[in-house]
Amino acid sequence: MGTQHVVTMLPGEGTGPEICEAVRMVIDASGVNIKWEYEDIGLDCLEKYGTLLPDKTVQNIAKNKVALKGPTTTPIGTGHKSANVTLRKVFDLYANVRPAKLIPVLKRPWDKIDILNFRENTEDCYAAIEHMVSDEVAQCLKVITWPGSYRIADFAFKWAKEQGRKKVYCVHKANIMKMTDGLFLDAFREVAKKYPDIESGDIIVDNCCMQLVRNPAQFDCLVLPNLYGDILTDLCAGLVGGLGFAPGANVGDGCAIFEAVHGSAPKYAGMKKVNPSAVLVSGVMMLRWLKEEAAADRITKAMFAVLDERKHVTYDVGGTATTDEYAQAIVDKMHAKV
Amino acid sequence: MPTFTETAKATKKKREIKLVGSDMYIITEKGIPKFDDIGPFKCEFISNRGTKVWPGFVSPDLLQVNWYRCRFMATKDVQDADVNTFLDALTKKGWWWSAAQKLWNYDGEPGFSKAY
Ligand SMILES: NC(=O)c1ccc[n+]([C@@H]2O[C@H](COP(=O)([O-])OP(=O)(O)OC[C@H]3O[C@@H](n4cnc5c(N)ncnc54)[C@H](O)[C@@H]3O)[C@@H](O)[C@H]2O)c1
Repeated sequence: MGTQHVVTMLPGEGTGPEICEAVRMVIDASGVNIKWEYEDIGLDCLEKYGTLLPDKTVQNIAKNKVALKGPTTTPIGTGHKSANVTLRKVFDLYANVRPAKLIPVLKRPWDKIDILNFRENTEDCYAAIEHMVSDEVAQCLKVITWPGSYRIADFAFKWAKEQGRKKVYCVHKANIMKMTDGLFLDAFREVAKKYPDIESGDIIVDNCCMQLVRNPAQFDCLVLPNLYGDILTDLCAGLVGGLGFAPGANVGDGCAIFEAVHGSAPKYAGMKKVNPSAVLVSGVMMLRWLKEEAAADRITKAMFAVLDERKHVTYDVGGTATTDEYAQAIVDKMHAKV
Repeated sequence: MPTFTETAKATKKKREIKLVGSDMYIITEKGIPKFDDIGPFKCEFISNRGTKVWPGFVSPDLLQVNWYRCRFMATKDVQDADVNTFLDALTKKGWWWSAAQKLWNYDGEPGFSKAY
């Protein structure tokens, strides 16, 4: 066994815990040496600790600097802030990394999609500055800052370089929003100069959407302000195989939290039927972050093989396997290959 | 026949508007501002890029820019003229501000968001 990594596990709520157990089983069987430290997050914590995000959990993440998170349920209209948003704010997780890679066996009209999206996670219209400025006018401030724009671009180019990516493009609407998106684009261009080996450019967001649905293979890495990033990454998830497969990471200078794009699917909680793939692929991203490339490759290959056979797949991809049976099939595949 | 624009304008509901405070956007290189009460205006919170930085805990990792949103709430009934006095006082104390946004309640409901 190689170096031991200590990782915070946040199983979350709804289908979160059953998904995370299955994912843990697969990751543990991949040959990595991970010590998992379980911490609570979400609605259950409200009764126990009076908050969705207990201090103990924050301390543990701060110590380990890496976490794998299951989905949580955001209470509507209770006045409690979402645990996700709070996590993002507390650790200033400014980079939301969402890869959209075509899963070969899922039938899609394209033969290649491999897009890496870098969404700015903290600014834009999400700064929560809204006013009714008169009784017939509402206003939301779109806040874009130079350092906020610079660091997400720098982060994206560095990540792209490390992954041997060729192109990084900035998505914007600077033709209309000349100050805000203009600043985002300026910062991107300044950063691009530091990475002469990587092709850089920009594309207007509406054209980008049209191009994505017509010819997604042309895109490599995209850097987006928060709102466009929110929308385009869901579009990309839809292109490659839906919510059951879309992974993500929220990264800051101090720590990285890996989680699926999907929510807690509470109506399926306890039924052990949902697809753990999105959390599993997020776990694979985490393994690459920890430089455990071999284990990451092993899991990916085994998962593709299981999906390809279609014998032990979950309901959302046309099968009848439970969450655990699917995970077990991936483990069996990995062992068969060794 | 009224036009769509005319119909739309005619649907506006009458709402009671009440001044309850002012958001001040303050530019400073000296970190999170601190305020004493200024007349009937009391600072309730300060946020930077939408994240609350006062009162309470601020992560040392948090990126802050030189522009703070400072929420001042009125502690008694105030009129528009009181805001003018307040702005003068703030300027005299040396605060450089980029904008002021009056905060209104509409039929008793706040017409402004809180910070995260
Ligand atoms: N990161 C997060 O923790 C996160 C993200 C999004 C939503 N949420 C929260 O999750 C709760 C439920 O939200 P929702 O119903 O809008 O979205 P959801 O993603 O939980 O579910 C939407 C639908 O997608 C399908 N689906 C989702 N995940 C699946 C999986 N792993 N396998 C198979 N099918 C799957 C199901 O049909 C489900 O009904 C809400 O409280 C919401 O706030 C949390």
